[in-house]
Amino acid sequence: MLPSTASAFNWDIYMNQKKKDILALEIDSLRFSYKNHSVLNGINLNISRGEIFGILGANGAGKTTLMKLITGQLNSQKGTIKILGKPASESKHSVGYMPQKHSLYQELSVQDNLAFFNQMHLGLSPFKGHSNVEEMLSFVNLIKFKKEKVLHLSEGMKQRLNLAIALVNSPDFLVLDEPTVGLDPEIRSYFWTHFKNLRKTKKSLFISSHTMDDASHCDKLAFLRNGKIIAFGPPKKLREATGKNNSSLEDAFLYFVKNS
Amino acid sequence: MKSINRTISISLRVIKQITNDPRSTALIIIAPLIVTSLIGFSFIGQKEILNKITPALLGMIVFFFSFLVTGVSFLRERIEGTLERLLLLPVKKVNVITGYLFGFLILTTIQTLIVLTYIIFVFDQSYNNISQVLVILMLVTTTSVSLGIFVSTFARNEFQVIQFIPLIILPQIFLSGIFIPVNEMPQVLQLISEILPLKHAVFSLSQIMLHGKTLNNILPQLFALLGFASVCLVAGMATIKNRS
Repeated sequence: MLPSTASAFNWDIYMNQKKKDILALEIDSLRFSYKNHSVLNGINLNISRGEIFGILGANGAGKTTLMKLITGQLNSQKGTIKILGKPASESKHSVGYMPQKHSLYQELSVQDNLAFFNQMHLGLSPFKGHSNVEEMLSFVNLIKFKKEKVLHLSEGMKQRLNLAIALVNSPDFLVLDEPTVGLDPEIRSYFWTHFKNLRKTKKSLFISSHTMDDASHCDKLAFLRNGKIIAFGPPKKLREATGKNNSSLEDAFLYFVKNS
Repeated sequence: MKSINRTISISLRVIKQITNDPRSTALIIIAPLIVTSLIGFSFIGQKEILNKITPALLGMIVFFFSFLVTGVSFLRERIEGTLERLLLLPVKKVNVITGYLFGFLILTTIQTLIVLTYIIFVFDQSYNNISQVLVILMLVTTTSVSLGIFVSTFARNEFQVIQFIPLIILPQIFLSGIFIPVNEMPQVLQLISEILPLKHAVFSLSQIMLHGKTLNNILPQLFALLGFASVCLVAGMATIKNRS
């Protein structure tokens, strides 16, 4: 029997609910060490879909190693990582990665860089134009500079192109490594507007940072120290945990460091 | 089909990167013409000598420039993080290496045709079987591109790639028979020359271009070149890591 309109509608609700139930990121008992030096000591983390999640920690806390494990640049030694319900190694198609370093082809134009990574992501023909490249250039406001060589771009423009490359295949899960580092306040605010727009489209963002300004924009935060998560929750809750009125995220970070 | 598209995209990107950079274009096209002119005009009254030198010159130019440009380009990929970024996508090592290879095969074919046309018309020379010459030079390119990729693993900057020239390129040039025929060299050097790809390439090119031989007549050298190309390809590929 064919499903009625009503039952088809219910099926959609069921599927949407099911999709919501699948977490964007699940990390279970993750450990990693370089030679004899332990970098991550049993990380457990769950991130819901459509959430901006920030991970904060000083240099050497293990942020970069964690990001490398999530994006598949490193293989986990103990523990599991699942992205959108699949093991990290099988999630290349649904993950967008924006490295801290620009990682762009300097001699190529803005458009050529974006088109190339689009072809690499999706295995598209290099002899045809693809509309998502133009769309993405408009999204990051680089359409006027599309013929410009990367070599001649400002830092802010390079960073916008870097973001466009991470987004070009419309990934559901984005890993952004210190995306606003070195940017002036105007461009930083522009980036955060973009990130919040992406959240509206149910994309999940995993952002590493060491600035409290970035952290305050996140839905949830984790403080990482010596390879362990010492605090986890919404920024407001973390500030409240200090027991002081008007405490900042920096106060909260220092409070948890002291008590860890 | 997706895998083929990715390989073609990498080849086209390599070509575009080089043609967008005037210094690289000059290194591939203008520098060989300057070298050829210097040698050509030095032997202007001795056409026979120039005729004999040309096959060796072609082999040397293709080997040297594709090794140097690949080494530097691939090193930049590693330093600037574009290679790491590429390998996070659904791109395989074989796409990267064959993409580079096809890109350079197109560039060296153009390079060879320009140099040969220049020698034929400016210095009034004639040679046999140009299409078979291109087959030999393709094997030479495969070897030198793969060697360039391999060597880029051990260099931290462009200057260090150049430091490999005395180690990899110069012995090949001296022992390939360009200056002294290999059979007139001491026994030890003759043995060493057997394991150098440029020696086999120069011998093959001379046989085809000057003595009217075909690929069928130089099968042992052809297999030796194929062997070098395969070994270098595997070594080059082994230096590209998908995951640490």
